[in-house]
Parts: sequence; C-alpha cells; structure tokens
Amino acid sequence: MRLLLVEDDTALRETLVEQLKHAGFNVDAAADGEEGLYCGREYALDLAIVDLGLPKISGLDLIKKLRAEAKSYPILILTARDRWQDKVEGLQAGADDYVAKPFHFEELMARVQALLRRSGGWAQPVLKCGPVALDPRTQEVTVNGRRVELTSFEYRILEYLIHRAGEVISKTELTERLYAQDFDRDSNTIEVFIGRLRRKLDPDDTIKPIETLRGRGYRFALQRETAA
Amino acid sequence: MSVLLILFFGITIVALDYVFRDLTHNAMRERLEVQLIALITASEEDSSGGLRPSTQHVEATVRFNTPGSGLYGEIMRSDGYPSWRSISLTGTGLTFPMPEKYGEPLFGQLTNADGSNVLALSRRLEWQFDNGVTRSFVYSVAEDLGPYYAQLNGFRGQLFGWFGVLVLLLIGAIAMLVRRLLAPLRRIEKEIAAIEVGEITELGAGYPRELLGVTMNLNTLLRGERERLARYRNTLGNLAHSFKTPLAVMRNLLSSEAFRNLPAAKQLDEQVDRMNDIVKYQLKRAAASGSTGLGMAPVNVAEALSALRGALLKVYVERNLTCTLDVAANAVFYGDREDLQEIAGNLLDNAFKWARSEIRLTVTTLSAANARRDGLLMVFEDDGPGIPEARRTHVLERGARLDERVSGQGIGLSVVRELVGLNGGTIQIGTSTLGGARIEVKLPPT
Repeated sequence: MRLLLVEDDTALRETLVEQLKHAGFNVDAAADGEEGLYCGREYALDLAIVDLGLPKISGLDLIKKLRAEAKSYPILILTARDRWQDKVEGLQAGADDYVAKPFHFEELMARVQALLRRSGGWAQPVLKCGPVALDPRTQEVTVNGRRVELTSFEYRILEYLIHRAGEVISKTELTERLYAQDFDRDSNTIEVFIGRLRRKLDPDDTIKPIETLRGRGYRFALQRETAA
Repeated sequence: MSVLLILFFGITIVALDYVFRDLTHNAMRERLEVQLIALITASEEDSSGGLRPSTQHVEATVRFNTPGSGLYGEIMRSDGYPSWRSISLTGTGLTFPMPEKYGEPLFGQLTNADGSNVLALSRRLEWQFDNGVTRSFVYSVAEDLGPYYAQLNGFRGQLFGWFGVLVLLLIGAIAMLVRRLLAPLRRIEKEIAAIEVGEITELGAGYPRELLGVTMNLNTLLRGERERLARYRNTLGNLAHSFKTPLAVMRNLLSSEAFRNLPAAKQLDEQVDRMNDIVKYQLKRAAASGSTGLGMAPVNVAEALSALRGALLKVYVERNLTCTLDVAANAVFYGDREDLQEIAGNLLDNAFKWARSEIRLTVTTLSAANARRDGLLMVFEDDGPGIPEARRTHVLERGARLDERVSGQGIGLSVVRELVGLNGGTIQIGTSTLGGARIEVKLPPT
C-alpha cells in the first residue's frame, strides 16, 4: 500500500515515515502543501495523511484541489487545533476522517487500516476470501484456520491483492504501489513473489487463489465473504 | 420644555388680562365722572328749594329718562329729601351711598333689583341758591356693568384664542425642531438595536459632524473586538499547533522500537496525555468567545448542526447510525459560531461514540415576553448505555483541577459546560426515551 504523508514538522514527519514503513507501507513524504499537491497528483496512492496546518498551500486547500482533480483515495486529516470548525471544513472539503494531535501511532494505524479497508469495499476488519483470511491489524494470514508465515514483501503483495479482490491488478500497478521510488523496478521480481505466495497459500494447488491474466496482470480469484 | 412654554404664556395672559381690566375700569370711572359733571352743570333750582337737571340740556338727560338705558342719576338733598331721580331708576331699588366729605368722588359697586351690577359715583357739594341760602346736595350717577363685562369677556376670548393658536404653533415648531435634532440619535439607537440582534455589524455612515466622533469610535470598538477575537484565536491555534506537534513526536518516539520496551515509556506517555489534556482544555477555554455576539451575524443553527451531522456521519460511517436532526426553522444562535460548534460538536460526537444505532438532536426556541432575542433548547439523545446518575455531576464539574483527573478520560463535557456557562446557559444530564444519555443545553432568551 502506498501512502502519502504531508506534514511540515520535520521530526514528526521523519518518525512517522519510519513507523509507517516499519508497518509495511510504501511511504512518500512531503513537507509543505505544494510538495504535497505534486505527490498527490503524480503518484498512484492508496491513501494520504494530511496535516491541516501546512505552509504554502493549507491542508484544507490541498484536499480541495486533490478532490477537484478527481483523486478518490481516502484522506486522513491530522489536526493540532482540535476545533470542530477545522474538522467539519476538512471533512466537507473531501477528507474521510481526522486524528487529533498528539495521537498514538496505533490509533493512526487503526484509522488508516479502516479507511483502506473501506476504500477496497470491505466492511469488516478481517478480510476473508473463501478459506483465506487476512487481518491487517496483526498482519496475520490463515488458510482454513491454519496460519501461514509470510515475509514482509509477500504479505504486502497479498494484502494489496485481497484488498482489491476480484479486480485485475497490473504488474506496473503492483510495483508502483509496493516499491519505494528508488527501488529497482524489475517486474520479474513480482512474478517470483507471486509464485512463492501461491506455494505458501495453496501448497496442494487446490484452491487456486491468485489468477494470472496474461498481459494484463493478476487477480485474487476467491469470492469475498461479507460480514452478514 | 412645553411646561415652561405654558407657564410663560399663562403668566402673560394673566398680566394682560389684569392690565386690560384695569384700563376699562378706569375708562368707565372717567365716563361716570363726565356724566356727573354734566348733571351738575345742567342743574337748575326748582320751586321747592331743590335741584333738577334743566330740560334745556336734552343730551344730558335723555338717557336718564329712558327706562333700561343703563344710566341712572339722582340728586339728593342732605336732609334726605330726594330732589330728583331719573326715570331709569324706577324699579331698580338702587340706593346711592351718602359721602360725608365735600368734593371727593365716592365710587361703589351696587346691585340692581334684577341682580345685575352697576358702578356708582356719588359726590357731595354745596349749592348757593339765588336767594342766598346754601344747601348741601349729593349728586349720584350709576351705569350698568353689563357692557363692561361683555367687553372684558370679548377681550378675554380674543386673548385666549390668539394665545392658544400661538402656543400650538410654537409647540409644533419646537417639536419639529427637536425631532430634527434628535433624528441622528434615534438612528443610532435603531442601528444599535439592529447590531444587537445581528442584522448589521456596525453603524452606517452619513451622521452629522457632531456625532461622527461617537459613531466612528463605536464602529472601531466593534471592529476591534471582532478582529481581536480572530487574532487571538489565530494565535491560540498557532500555539496549539506548535505545542502539540512536538507532543505528537514524543508520543511516536515512545511507541517506536527503541523506546517501546523501556520501563518509563508508559509513564512518559501518560505525562504526554496530561500535558495534552491541560493544553487542550485551557486553549479551548481561552478560545471561547462567550460574547453576546455584538456585531456578529446570528448563526443559523440548522445549517451549523447539519454540517456537524454530515461530518460525523462520514467519520462514523461504519457504525451505520441514524442521526435525526429536528431543528426549529427560526432557530438562531446569538453568539459566536465557533462556540456553538464546540458545544454541539462535542455533545454530538459523544452521542455518536456511545449510540448503538440512533441519535436524536432536537432544537427548539425559547421566547420570553421582555426579551429581545429568543433562547435555544438543544437536546442531544442517544440509545447508548447512558451516564449513570452518580457520575452526572462529576463529568460536568471536572475540569477545574485537570491535573487531578484520571488520564485517558475525555475533557469534552467539561469544555462544553464551560462554553455553555460563558454563553449564559445551563446544561443538564438525564436519561433519554431512546434509552441512553439525554443532554440538555438551555440558552435562555435575553
């Protein structure tokens, strides 16, 4: 999952970037509204975290501009002022949720996970497709109740595919969303990881969770289970 | 003003009346003296040793000898023998006084048999007859006062009439003058009333030069107050931002790999919590306007609340809550928009947090006979667990000693209580018919 963090305070930005990366996200960071607008326009993002008190372009205007350009990824506001006026304006401008500073990182993560889940069309915290279940909160994956050990990158690919279960995801999209900018983008690597995932999730080759659509990409093929 | 005017005209009328009465009275006395002298001049001896007016002086006797002419005459010998009585005296029953001294005129007011008054003049004199005998006589004349009264009343009528007209004209002129002079003051009064209900934000232009100082200073004051509040809030906002961001850094560092397992990490985190709560509470209190809203447009309550509702529905979208908003169409908040948003925002957010499925927000207006602005009754209800009776006063009263309170409990309600208090209202916690908490905010009419 690729996140954009727009925060002008260097110390907070750096610690957050580190923690978000540690949590398995591909993070872009911007220090002001202008930079934020550039990143928000140019990168294929899954979510943006925007501080309201930004230099150059205010957080509120940044959100309005992104929404005006039909960027539909979820936006989470960070606010220090904790005024209802700011929250209401932010949400009306197109943000989806807010977190008041100072927050616990766990709280921020919970909001981010919930927004990502919602944007993928999931209503409940654990994402289930047939026998496969993925819990973004604990990063645990089970198949028929049996726990599957995945490396960090394997988990990230699976999480992305399951989030968008049923949709065709191109290799380029996967690379863009999962690799950091400066990472060597070799699409062959993706193929290698998909192969490993298939073996770990489906060692007997019975459930066939990931489909390959030649020339188009991959699709998580198992039927989504809804809460009801 | 008009009292002074009436007093002035009253005194003038009384004085003029007195002078005129005096003048006519004197004129009448003089006329009587002339009649008396004419009577004396016309006198001639008769055979019985008396005196009577000569028939040759017709003009002197013609009115005396006409009954009802209003002029009466008598010549009385000092021994009481009536020498001559005018024909007009017949039936009047008038008896003239007898002066003791010679030559001095004696005036007196007598009453006729028919009740009308006459003014009488008598004079005693000595007459030497042709035969050398000297006798004493009293000459008397009298005239009806009727015409005099008629003249006086006529004069009074005219006097009162003209002065009445004059007084009315003057009062009218003064009233118009005063109206013109006071018109700008009335306008100020009207505009201040409009500012009070928030129809306009400051006094208009075009006042006379004498009042410009007052109106411009008042406008400066109103503008200054608004700008001061905005600047103050901006400063507080910057303060909050520059204070809370480092707190956020500290908190994030504490939860990072390197610090997470340190024994002090949890305590430090609690301290961050406390610092945050204190700053949050004090900043919210400081940012509260609590003003009467002078020079501010009244806040449309329905619009402000539906914006809040929309925002909260977005945040709590996964909870599938129903939030019914029932706001009286004419409900306006005479105060600061931000105060209303903080009060309603915190209470509505609490309701969303605790509700199982339903939230209800009802706003009605409160009016009072002698109040210029309506009050508001806002009721926030949810179907959550509610607030136990024992804790109701506690959750409201906390806040004064924030450093004593348990970490992790919201400060929302105590901020709300402060804000409601600053805006002259009261807050009450009860149980809703929905099953959960019912929080009632009452802002009385003012």
